Amino acid sequence: MPAGKPAGSGGQPITGIDRLIHEPSRYLIMAYLFVVESADALFLQRQTGFTWGNLSSHLSRLETAGYVVIKKDFLDKKPHTMLQLTDAGRTAFKLYRRTMKQALEDLPGP
Amino acid sequence: MQIDADLKKLERRAFLTFFQDGLWDIFIGLFVLGWGLGMLTSADYLVGVSFVGFWLIVLALKRWLTYPRIGYARLGQQKTRVISRLVIILAVVALAGALMAVLVSSGSRPQWLMEYFPLLFCGMLALIVAGIAVWLGAYRFVLHAAFILIAGAVHQWLNIKWPYTFIAAGALSILIGLYVLFRFLRRYPRASPEEIDAGR
Repeated sequence: MPAGKPAGSGGQPITGIDRLIHEPSRYLIMAYLFVVESADALFLQRQTGFTWGNLSSHLSRLETAGYVVIKKDFLDKKPHTMLQLTDAGRTAFKLYRRTMKQALEDLPGP
Repeated sequence: MQIDADLKKLERRAFLTFFQDGLWDIFIGLFVLGWGLGMLTSADYLVGVSFVGFWLIVLALKRWLTYPRIGYARLGQQKTRVISRLVIILAVVALAGALMAVLVSSGSRPQWLMEYFPLLFCGMLALIVAGIAVWLGAYRFVLHAAFILIAGAVHQWLNIKWPYTFIAAGALSILIGLYVLFRFLRRYPRASPEEIDAGR
């Protein structure tokens, strides 16, 4: 299968798949941030079980793509870093799920 | 659809994370214990004081013990709505309880109400706790509801004084909460600021 063109029904490539979200680790991070309003890095690390380095690199990629925003906040008068999906990230995640659902539904039966 | 189901599962898991620390179990236990002590010493104010006091203590402990270990998340709007509805239902049930108490203390109290008051009262309290447990999906809390119901039943049928059954039920809930808390503290060490910074 050529890179960037996952096979769909009838050997046709699935178009519109966001490769950035398609990576399982990043999908999990996006999914957690989708179901909460915002969360800190520790929460994501505990939930996903990723190493700090791994989490950091995925978050950086998502931030660069404009899907995640890092917000400085205060918790108990101490600076606290919260992560949140941007509107673009939320839209991209919804679109990814819709595309994947459609692709799975279009698969030919046994 | 599987993808939707997975997201719901994920949301539930994220939400229930904050019940892993046993603090709400301890809160229920302390509240029931406070109620029992209030009845024993005829200091009715202990009920209100223990509810508000322990609630504030739990919130403080959450910040001190829980968030530095498992992190912090702001819930989505859906969960916030669920909690708001829960508070409304709690208020309605509390009003029903107050009405029952007024009926009992008034001259025109029905005989059946007087006879089964302990069981009815504990049943209602247990129903609230069990209802919250099932609604939130935190099924461990059904156990605390069972303790409260058993406290009422023991008083009703075994004639053991009400305060003692309440104190015993509260103590059991506290023990369960402490067990869950110690397990939580062992499982999740406090994250250092360096670790958290590395995650950014």
